[in-house]
Amino acid sequence: MLETLEIIFIRDGAWLTILKGLWATVQISALSLLFGTLLGAIICSLRLSNFKPAELCAKIYVEIIRGSPVLMLLMLLFYGVFARTDFSPLTIAVITFSLHTAAYVAELLRSTFRTIDKGQVEAARTLGFSKWQAFRLIALPQIIFIAKPVYQSITINLIQWTSVVGYVSITDLTRVINNTAARTMQPMITIIGGIILYLALSNLVNVIFSWSNKKDLNGEAKTDERH
Amino acid sequence: MKLKKIFSFVAMGALAGTLFTGCGDKAQNDTDNIRIGMITTLNASEQKIDEILTLVEQRSNINLIKHTTTFYKNLPSLQMGLESGSVDEISTYECVANYLETRDPKFVTVENHGRNISDSFCFAIRKDNDLLKNSLNKALDTLKKNGTLDKLVKEYITDVTDKEPPAVDMPHFDGAETIKVAVTGDLPPLDLVLADGSPAGFNTALLAEIAKQLQRNIEIIDIDGDARAAALSSDRADVVFWAILPVDQEVPSDIDTPQGAVLSDPYFTDKIVHIRIKK
Repeated sequence: MLETLEIIFIRDGAWLTILKGLWATVQISALSLLFGTLLGAIICSLRLSNFKPAELCAKIYVEIIRGSPVLMLLMLLFYGVFARTDFSPLTIAVITFSLHTAAYVAELLRSTFRTIDKGQVEAARTLGFSKWQAFRLIALPQIIFIAKPVYQSITINLIQWTSVVGYVSITDLTRVINNTAARTMQPMITIIGGIILYLALSNLVNVIFSWSNKKDLNGEAKTDERH
Repeated sequence: MKLKKIFSFVAMGALAGTLFTGCGDKAQNDTDNIRIGMITTLNASEQKIDEILTLVEQRSNINLIKHTTTFYKNLPSLQMGLESGSVDEISTYECVANYLETRDPKFVTVENHGRNISDSFCFAIRKDNDLLKNSLNKALDTLKKNGTLDKLVKEYITDVTDKEPPAVDMPHFDGAETIKVAVTGDLPPLDLVLADGSPAGFNTALLAEIAKQLQRNIEIIDIDGDARAAALSSDRADVVFWAILPVDQEVPSDIDTPQGAVLSDPYFTDKIVHIRIKK
């Protein structure tokens, strides 16, 4: 058994190939989360704007993206839209997952924004805060606090969504696991190993969010003490 | 709190056990009926493939087996289907069966359950790329005539051992044109990816010989098997590997060929066999 595990995960540089696959997954997930969040914030602002055409465009975007399987979108962009460009597969994967994540982040931010008591912002405005200050100091901290648990789920889902990038010639963790399973003819053990690595990645995300939550609560406690 | 944790752990273990053992009883109690697993084809429907195989089976001299077929995406999932008890036998190429049996003695080839048919392997090229098709056919012809192809078959297929197949040195020609070839890495010993991440196996070794013949560079792209046709039609790959289904007077050999693609001459033919777990 130990020898089988050694052949699958260690021998002849297998561990390094698995780490490279893991790194590809981390890269695509992290970059897509970053760009997806920025784009999601823009789409959310369009969705909440009073300019009807912009609101409609944002609404249609969210509907289309959330209703389409991410693999279809990836295949469409890689083998269709960007087929004759010099964009690397990784870039196209990041574009795809950013577009996909943006739709979910936009909806999350919109629904969270709705829960904020408008009276607080109006009160801040009457106290002399500018529009931007009222948003940044009053609304934004609450939006972040309320949206965080769902954003954490989006992040974990994103890591799992990226497992389809093998379709566009990227050797990510799932692809390495599939190749290893075929080479060693030990699919059960190899896939369990792959699941453990994905679990470790998801747990890392959970740890980061828990740490950030604790930091927020400590910050709040210190503020209360000062008062 | 501790009890809750223990209970969760036991429940998870039971769930995983159920999943990995194929959920208990056989789906069908009909002992005469053999449940066969095979890798699905990309362009012919599963119903069509089943009809064709039954037709071929009826014409062969093998006693008919009462069976139901389940189609799987790739070799690892096919093997998992067998190991979990979802199917009784899996239908695959003889070379793949040998590769599997040398690595795991619990598998054995089932005598007389193969359909007495063979598949041929070839390259699929875009229809508008006649020049490349002709070049590949010419190179294959040379490799057949000078014995290189037989040598490769012996080295990578016939003499398969439980050791990893050797790495392939892909030649490089400065300034030469590059042919992009998609491999899937999930059909050893024909197509696999070594532990260090480099593509290997019979197909890759054949590509290296073709590169020498054509004096061109070959860029290997590792993609999922389902994306082969899309890679070819979108110019992401110039060549993909393809298998021709059983050739028969009334069974068209191009039943699974993607639209807009043509096939090269076959370079290797292999018998289809059935494997089961030793009792």
